[in-house]
Amino acid sequence: MRPSVFRGIRLVFQKELIVGMRFKAAWSTIFMFALTTLSCISLALQGAVLEPDLQAALLWTILFFASMTGMDRSFADEDMSGTLPALKLYGDAQAVLFGKMLYALFLLLALSLFVMLLFFLLFDVQTASLSEFLAVALAGICGLAGAGTFIAALATGAHVKSGLFSVLMLPVILPIFLPAIFLTSAVFGGEPVLLPHLGGMILYDLLLVVGASVLFDYFWYEE
Amino acid sequence: MMKYLSFAIMLLTVLVLYLVFFVVPPAEGLGGLVRIAFFHIPMAWISVLAFLMSAWWAAAYLRKGTLRQDHLSARSAKLGFVFVLLATVSGAIFSKLTWGAYWNWDPRQTTIFVLILIYGAYLTLRAAIPEPRKRARTSAAYSLFSCLTVPFLVFIIPRLYFSLHPTPVLNAEGHVDMDPVMLGTLMAALLDATLIYVRLLFHHLPKEDSHEP
Repeated sequence: MRPSVFRGIRLVFQKELIVGMRFKAAWSTIFMFALTTLSCISLALQGAVLEPDLQAALLWTILFFASMTGMDRSFADEDMSGTLPALKLYGDAQAVLFGKMLYALFLLLALSLFVMLLFFLLFDVQTASLSEFLAVALAGICGLAGAGTFIAALATGAHVKSGLFSVLMLPVILPIFLPAIFLTSAVFGGEPVLLPHLGGMILYDLLLVVGASVLFDYFWYEE
Repeated sequence: MMKYLSFAIMLLTVLVLYLVFFVVPPAEGLGGLVRIAFFHIPMAWISVLAFLMSAWWAAAYLRKGTLRQDHLSARSAKLGFVFVLLATVSGAIFSKLTWGAYWNWDPRQTTIFVLILIYGAYLTLRAAIPEPRKRARTSAAYSLFSCLTVPFLVFIIPRLYFSLHPTPVLNAEGHVDMDPVMLGTLMAALLDATLIYVRLLFHHLPKEDSHEP
C-alpha cells in the first residue's frame, strides 16, 4: 500500500471515531443490547451451573448478535446522511475499507471486553489459560470485524434493512464461529487449545480481509 | 439443440429409474435403502456445482459487466437452492432410516446447512435490491465472498466433529470402493442430474438487456 493509503486509513478511522463519539446512541445501543441479553439469560438460569460447551456457545452467540446491532450501520449511516458520495469522491477504496474495518475492530474489542467481563462474573467461568482464551477471542473478533465491514457495504443499497445484515453475515462467519465455540469450550473445560484449529481461524481471518479488499474495489468504483 | 437435450434427458432418466429400482443389488448393511443414495448424491453434486458455477459467472460479471452473466449466476443459484433442499430432505430421510434421527449436525449435514444459508442469503440480497446493475454487482461480490467458506467446509468441519456419514464414493486413499453395477448406475444418475441442471439453466434465459430479479 502507498503511504497516502495509510494516511487515508488513519483519517477514515479518526472520522469514524469522532462521529461515533458524537452520536453516542450507536454505542449505547450495542452495549445495552449485550447487557440486556446477558442479564436475561442469567436471570432465567438463576445461577445454574453450565457445562463448558454451553458456556462457550452462549458467549459467542451473545457476541455475534450484539456485534450485528452495531456493525451494520457503518455504511448505512453514510448513505442516510448523504455523505457516501463525498466519501466515494475523495476517499480511496482501500483507505475507506480498512479505516472502517479498523474502527469496527476497535468497537468490537470494547464490546467484547464488556461482554466477557460480565459473562465471567455472572456465569462463574473458569479458564485454564487466559492467554489462550484471549488468542481465540481475538481471532474471532478480527474475523467479525473484517467480514462485517464488507457485508455492511454490500447491504447499503438494499431496501430491506432489519435482519438482512445478520442473514448475510452468518454463513460467511460460521468458519470462525464454530471453531471459536469449539476452542473456547476447550479452554473453559481445562483442555489445551488445538493450535491447528486456532491457525485455521487466523488463516480464515486473513482470507476474509484479502477477499474483502479485492472485491471492495469492484463494489466501490461504480460505472 | 435444446429439444434433443430434453429427449436425451428423458431417456436417461427412464434408464436411471430402471437401474435403481430393478437392477441395483441391496447393499451390505443398508439393504434396499441404498437406493436413496442414487437420488441424494446427484442432488448434492448439483448443489455444489451450481454454487461454484454461480460464483464463476459472478466473477465473469465483475470482469465484463454484461447482464447475461448475472442472469446465469442468479439462475444457477436458484437451481442450486432447489437442489440443495432436495439433497437435504433425501439425506434426512436416509439418516432417519439408518441412524434413527432426521438431523444430528453430522459434519456433512453442517456443510449442506451452510450451503443452504449461503444460497438463502444470496437470494435474499438479490430480492432486496431493485436496481438491476447494483443488484448484479452486489450479489456478485457476495457470491465470491461466500466462496471463501469452501476450504473450511471441505477441510475443517470434518475434522472438528465425528461423522456417521458413509465414506465418499472416492475414499481418502483415492480408491473407488463400490460394486461395479452400483458405480455405473451412480455415474448415469450423476450425468442425468448434470444434464437436467444445464437444461434448466438455459431454459428461457432472459436477453442481455432484460432484467431478471
